[in-house]
Amino acid sequence: MAPRIQTGRVSNTILPYLSSSSSSSSSFSPLCPSSQSLSRQFSATAASQTKLRRQMFEWLNTEGAAYKHHIPNETNYLKGPRDFEGGPAKPFPNNKNFISESVLSEDLRNKVYELVVHQKKSIRAVSVQLGIDMRRVGAVVRLVELERRQQAQGKPMAKPYARAVHEMIPVTQLADPNERQTYHEPINDLPAHPTTGAQIFYPVPESRSFTRVDAGRVFSAAPAVEHSRKDELAHPSDLADIVFEKPGSIEWVGKGDNARQVLQPADVRIPHPQLVQLDRDRAAFPTERRAVGERHAQRLERQEKNEEKLREKARSLREDSIKHVEPEGGRFDFRIKEAVFSEQTVGQDGRAPWAPGRRYGVPTNDRKRGTVKIPTRVEA
Amino acid sequence: MVVRIRLARFGNKHDPFYNIVVAQARSARGSKPLEVIGTYNPIPKRAASFSSENANLRPYKEIALDRTRAKYWLGVGAQPSDPVWKLLSMAGLVEPKPATFHKA
Repeated sequence: MAPRIQTGRVSNTILPYLSSSSSSSSSFSPLCPSSQSLSRQFSATAASQTKLRRQMFEWLNTEGAAYKHHIPNETNYLKGPRDFEGGPAKPFPNNKNFISESVLSEDLRNKVYELVVHQKKSIRAVSVQLGIDMRRVGAVVRLVELERRQQAQGKPMAKPYARAVHEMIPVTQLADPNERQTYHEPINDLPAHPTTGAQIFYPVPESRSFTRVDAGRVFSAAPAVEHSRKDELAHPSDLADIVFEKPGSIEWVGKGDNARQVLQPADVRIPHPQLVQLDRDRAAFPTERRAVGERHAQRLERQEKNEEKLREKARSLREDSIKHVEPEGGRFDFRIKEAVFSEQTVGQDGRAPWAPGRRYGVPTNDRKRGTVKIPTRVEA
Repeated sequence: MVVRIRLARFGNKHDPFYNIVVAQARSARGSKPLEVIGTYNPIPKRAASFSSENANLRPYKEIALDRTRAKYWLGVGAQPSDPVWKLLSMAGLVEPKPATFHKA
């Protein structure tokens, strides 16, 4: 009979290095005479075990014994009856929808930081090279920077913990220099646009060419493109170049509050439109690998330059509208933002819900049910 | 009656927030003003310290101000209260008042 309370030594799978003896004894022994006598000090009768409890100890002594210590670089998850090797890691056999996603290894995240910060590569290029989403690349750079600063300040790091956790969960490793990097995640996923949710029955004559560009216009209720302009565009993916060159060239439809940009084809909305063009070039010129590569590099460079220009423009706009005042001897700085309190911005009665500042005669709904009180974003 | 540019307190307990308003001097703090020309958040904010350049910045307080309306009201003789005078002097609309005391 197993003891009610486990007073014997409980093996901690995170610390197998610290106690070398625990790794040698893999069999689980709940029947320990000393612990039994300790747990039954106040009772003369033997407590009966429940069935489930007995089954638990049975399982721990047979199948479960394998999970007592993890094998480094292998997940220590329960294996369901239908689990097979190489499939997605599922820690909970009864919850098939819970998939344990892999994380970046220490080497890989340091490589990302090295490429972006020291080699000055663009986030877009690093994302394609290592197969990591652009948002994740940005997050990695910020977090590694934070880590380095904390190290410089002499703050303690939980390195052994990180190492132990990395040994037990799926991890994307950095490939050797002459090997191909395995992709951490799909990087060119198309974000779902709410406009495409509608089901539209739109009859089109067979003689008319109807492409993704036209479908986008139908979804956003924009008039069809004229035939003369249509011929200029050989393939929808060429539109990506035009849009990157001039983001203002995207048409607007609707008036007032209903104004919206025309939905662009998937070729434009995916994170890496240049990859589509690269594949098309490869298919068209299978023998001219060098020329295709050069064209791709040029396209990438042009795209990055445009993006940089846009970022700079947005930054200067933001900087110009905010005046920074740093009073001497004070503890705080002041940021003075330009605001416009006119009939357009505050409404005729000055009580428009979008008006800047707090409003008069309108209850604040900050205590209503369902109002989010915790901060939902961080101002960088 | 004097028209003043002053602060009107909004927000909750321990969470002040001010509208910079133009109002008749004798009217109550919470009454409807002639006009709202800006806001002032006295709770200092700290820039997110992800990058090293942000790490050494001092916390900041946010002011929003409609400069053209503020200039107009100053031009027609509205008198800023002392706290608003400080804010307007930082925005460069009025001369800063001399300090009434000097630290030794």
